[in-house]
Amino acid sequence: MNSKTMLYIGKRILLAIFTVWVVITVTFFVMHSVPGGPFVGEKATTPAVQAAMEAKYGLDKPLGEQYLTYLKDIVTKFDFGPSLKQRGRMVIDIIADGMKTSAKLGVIAAALSAVFGIVLGAVAALRRNKLSDRIIMVITTAFVSMPSFIMGSLLLALFAIKLKVLPANGSTPAGLVLPIVTLALYPMAYITRLTRSSMLDVLGQDYIRTAKAKGVSGAKIIFGHALKNSLIPVLTYLGPMLAYIVTGSLVVEQIFAVPGIGRAFVSSITNRDYPMIMGTTIILAALIVIMNLLTDILYKVVDPRITLE
Amino acid sequence: MKFKRTLAAILAGAMLVSLAACNSGSDDASSAENASGTEATSKDTLSVCLASEPDTIDPALNSAVDGATLLAHLFSGLAKWEQDDSGKLEIVADAAEELTEGVKNDDGTITYTYKLRDGLKWSDGKDVTAGDFVFAWQRAASTELAADYGYMFEVVDGYADIWETATDDEATYVNPDAKLNVKAVDDKTIEVTLTTDVTYWNELLAFPAYFPVREDVVSNESWATDPSTYVCNGPYTIKSWEHNSLITLEKNENYFDADKVTMKTLNFYLSDDSNNMLSNFKNGTWALIDDVPTNEIAALKEEYPDEFYNVGQIGTYYVCWNINKSILPADTKLTGAEAEKAEEEIRNAVSLLFDRNYIIDDIAQGGQVPASSFVAMGLTDADGSQFYKNTGVSKDYDGYFNTSADALQSNYEQALETLKKYYDFDEASGKFTNFPTITYLYNTSEGHKAIGEYLQSALDGVGITMSLENQEWATFLNTRKQGEYTVARNGWLADYNDPISFLDMWTTASGNNDVQFGRGDHAAVKNYSLDLTSLGSDIKVENGTWAETYDVLIGQIKTTADTEKRYKMMHMAEDLLMQTGCITPLYFYTDQYMLDSSVKGFFSNPLGYKYFMYCTIEE
Repeated sequence: MNSKTMLYIGKRILLAIFTVWVVITVTFFVMHSVPGGPFVGEKATTPAVQAAMEAKYGLDKPLGEQYLTYLKDIVTKFDFGPSLKQRGRMVIDIIADGMKTSAKLGVIAAALSAVFGIVLGAVAALRRNKLSDRIIMVITTAFVSMPSFIMGSLLLALFAIKLKVLPANGSTPAGLVLPIVTLALYPMAYITRLTRSSMLDVLGQDYIRTAKAKGVSGAKIIFGHALKNSLIPVLTYLGPMLAYIVTGSLVVEQIFAVPGIGRAFVSSITNRDYPMIMGTTIILAALIVIMNLLTDILYKVVDPRITLE
Repeated sequence: MKFKRTLAAILAGAMLVSLAACNSGSDDASSAENASGTEATSKDTLSVCLASEPDTIDPALNSAVDGATLLAHLFSGLAKWEQDDSGKLEIVADAAEELTEGVKNDDGTITYTYKLRDGLKWSDGKDVTAGDFVFAWQRAASTELAADYGYMFEVVDGYADIWETATDDEATYVNPDAKLNVKAVDDKTIEVTLTTDVTYWNELLAFPAYFPVREDVVSNESWATDPSTYVCNGPYTIKSWEHNSLITLEKNENYFDADKVTMKTLNFYLSDDSNNMLSNFKNGTWALIDDVPTNEIAALKEEYPDEFYNVGQIGTYYVCWNINKSILPADTKLTGAEAEKAEEEIRNAVSLLFDRNYIIDDIAQGGQVPASSFVAMGLTDADGSQFYKNTGVSKDYDGYFNTSADALQSNYEQALETLKKYYDFDEASGKFTNFPTITYLYNTSEGHKAIGEYLQSALDGVGITMSLENQEWATFLNTRKQGEYTVARNGWLADYNDPISFLDMWTTASGNNDVQFGRGDHAAVKNYSLDLTSLGSDIKVENGTWAETYDVLIGQIKTTADTEKRYKMMHMAEDLLMQTGCITPLYFYTDQYMLDSSVKGFFSNPLGYKYFMYCTIEE
């Protein structure tokens, strides 16, 4: 790696930190400007109880002071504070619990979708306009256009209720099969289509023709030249896709009752659980920023023609 | 051509490998499924789903029904709910040897003395002492803990002193060292003094806030979030807890009454998605689900007649009006008490325009009961009869007006007649022309929306335009509390079986006074009368403010020991409340759940707590 690349990466890291700071600041002040509070419920507590709670969690201090304290705790101690709703639990523990499940789900789904997507895409490209290509394209079109809540509900109705072969809740390992499949289908279909068109493009390039003319074996052309080069657009998609499904798909988590980070995020907003909202936002934002950065660096690895600056 | 075939072979190989990987995954899956499948049907494990992760299962901090159900299985208070052989619910002694009668003191306070049973143990083996109860109660009522349900100790002598604040600063307590009047006479004897005779005192003893906790256990602030630090004294202990996923309880052999506990293991799955719950019920994984999708209710009643349950719950679904928002025509000359009198009539008339049976049969569909009073069905009167049946004016129907289908037409005509006194009526179209446009506020939910739309169409029929506005839950609560609305959806579930739990929320200072009684302009409106002379008191107010009448009346109810008089006054309070027309009751809540027909011995109490310890599973 040359110094130019290092400089670029350094710049990008600084930019990433800046982005996360902006996210923290905006979220903090928007969050506090929304009406309602963490201690407001259907059954109102007395003003005295309310005041006692606010004092306990420092919510009685001026907003600016709360903001500075929060930033200081994050930077110096990586301390996200306690949850205001799940009393006795720390935000970081709740996030860790949710991330464990979401990450497992997301990584497996992403891996499945990449493997199947690339394989099917390559098959479709090589068998262009043949029956197998047509079938793959019809199926992937269906998967790409079907929203996950429909796909999830269909799978649930078929495998969990009709056939009773898989559980309907995501709290057991077996219960993760359906949500993983649901999560994987859309990106898999998308990657298939991406790989197919990109591969077709590459296969029409002069250097492939040259290689064929030189008598290079078919397998070497496909794996040595065509596939590698046609994966660049797929890579662009993979990074953000991974971040997106790892950070939790709320819809899928809701349908299958998966204890993931997506569900925790949404309920924290409904509950006005301020430290929890901040914690999840920061972690999710950081994850997406890092994924994007990694993708950019990977470009360089795959295609040396790309210069990072 | 050849290379294509080779490639196809390789690719096919790759797919096979990945498929195999998947297959091994689903192998695990199906074996795990088998395991969980047998779990739901095996004889000593019951899998249920009540709600998502509880906010807390610290008995003092809990304020939710699902949390209370867990706590009822984990702790043993002085009293508990039980079902006798005939299926009747009763409160019986639990940790206490017996539920004694109180002794009246000279100053009107009442002292109860309880003896603990012999050999009571915590789940870690240590003895349960009277001191643990005293500590738990002091803690639950303390300003330091500031628990939502700390006010459950309001009846105990000393509570008022603890929470007395300086008038100019609500966070400054006047008596920082004040304590409840409760003490441990010795290791086995608890003595507690109440400010007055409370009919529901035994019920309070069975309430989670009154469960004991041990000082050294709760000194760790996160004690109630991890099985390893969770020390309890009830029929069960926590075996494992995967947050947001599953809490497993295991029978506590240290519990004094362990012989009677039939279910060895309880799995509480944590989910709040009613569709997902139903899927798990249908495929046999969960034996009880505490929520069902509203739009499935009709179908479920048909499909599972023996497994769909609909039981009474002490709560009322109603519409509340902001008393400070005028609904008179723009050119009205009425002001003050006169305007308020007119608006009372108008609001009560509008209430008669709604067909509650339609709301229940065609919209809510949960077997709810039409309501024409605020204090809910299920709360009992002084003589043990239903409180709501003794309200109102007529013997022909319960409550303040007739909700039967037969009365629909006469209600409608009566409403029109009243409204015609105040608004211009166009005989040709049969509509009022100058009723101001009002907005109905509800929290985002399909069910509330459907009811809002019905109310809207019913009013539209007589020319009253009501627009609908929905807000997200926390925002909605805030808006309603601040009184920034005209008409809003509302609902109330009681915490204990006493009508006061429906009545003291409407005092001027109450945090639940969404109607804004006695606040703003209404503070000066002299429109209410109160006469307690027939009850032997010298309180008599004519044309007084809300504070001079309702607040005084509630104060009297809370300090009166005579049950008969107390209930009479509670009826008076509801009369005053309903007179204002600011409460438009629609229906009494019911609790719907699904229970597998193989499960026997299950019961739930009027507060919605569910009891699984005495369950058995029949093949």
